[in-house]
Amino acid sequence: MQRPLLIAAAMLFATTGASFAHDDKALEQSPPPAPYVQVSDVVPLPAFIPGLGTLFVDPATLPAGPFLAYDHDGKLSATVYMTPLDDLKNGTAYDGLAVGSHTVSGVDIYYNAGHPGVEKPHAHVVLYHDEGAEDRLAK
Amino acid sequence: MKPSRRMILTFGGGALAILTMSVRAGAAPVETVEMRGTARGERVWFAPRGLAVAPGTTLRFVNRDPGNSHTATAYHPAILDRKRRIPAGAQPWDSDFLLPGDEFEITLSVPGVYDYYCQPHEMAGMVGRIVVGQPGDSGWSGPSDDTTEVTPEVLAALPTVEEILANGRVEKEEEK
Repeated sequence: MQRPLLIAAAMLFATTGASFAHDDKALEQSPPPAPYVQVSDVVPLPAFIPGLGTLFVDPATLPAGPFLAYDHDGKLSATVYMTPLDDLKNGTAYDGLAVGSHTVSGVDIYYNAGHPGVEKPHAHVVLYHDEGAEDRLAK
Repeated sequence: MKPSRRMILTFGGGALAILTMSVRAGAAPVETVEMRGTARGERVWFAPRGLAVAPGTTLRFVNRDPGNSHTATAYHPAILDRKRRIPAGAQPWDSDFLLPGDEFEITLSVPGVYDYYCQPHEMAGMVGRIVVGQPGDSGWSGPSDDTTEVTPEVLAALPTVEEILANGRVEKEEEK
């Protein structure tokens, strides 16, 4: 019995490790490398969104993201996920999502009525990466 | 330099202003409808969401939402193949996406009821109704009676014609 458990644990670790594997350093400063694109370059949104900052996303990961949120100085300040409520209700799960940084100082979750790019009503899940991040992204 | 959307809107608006200056000399009325939203985007709306105007009034849509873009789009088959909810003889309009601070104008001359929506936020109930003139005016068209193409939330968000005519403008207290 112990052997299957060890194999399962090893598989879980391998899967988790793969999902979160990325080069933290490469994302610390804006702009992040391809395939990330600046959101305001591909949909009609302000370049700096009050509360979220300047967002970058890999289009292949839409709608959930991760969206990488940079402050006015180009410092990675938050990782944001956008999950449509209808999709969640209908059984869609967003598992194994990447993070912009493994340091998380706080998390906000709130409702958003929609915007270009993610038009369905959805939840914003915001992982702040340092204590001053929320203030720097505010405006 | 590639012209920005704001520049195009500005220059376009400037050209339009010059072209229509002689018309405006007659002091045609202008009413403003703001596109607004809460700081985190939990709610978005047109302010006012219901408005009564005289025929020939120019509607100016202005995006006052600092974190979002919006459209003012007439329900009409010519635009995204929607069912018509404006008078039959009226010109449909679509502002396209307006970024914060951008604006768009349309002049409404045909008497009747005009329903419009914000493309990315129709699902959130961001719709509005303009009543031009009043019942009995020559060529008047009442509100659409279609209840199949729009959601119950959209229908609930549209003020009645009677409410708009009685008050001139309709907006919720928390949306002023």
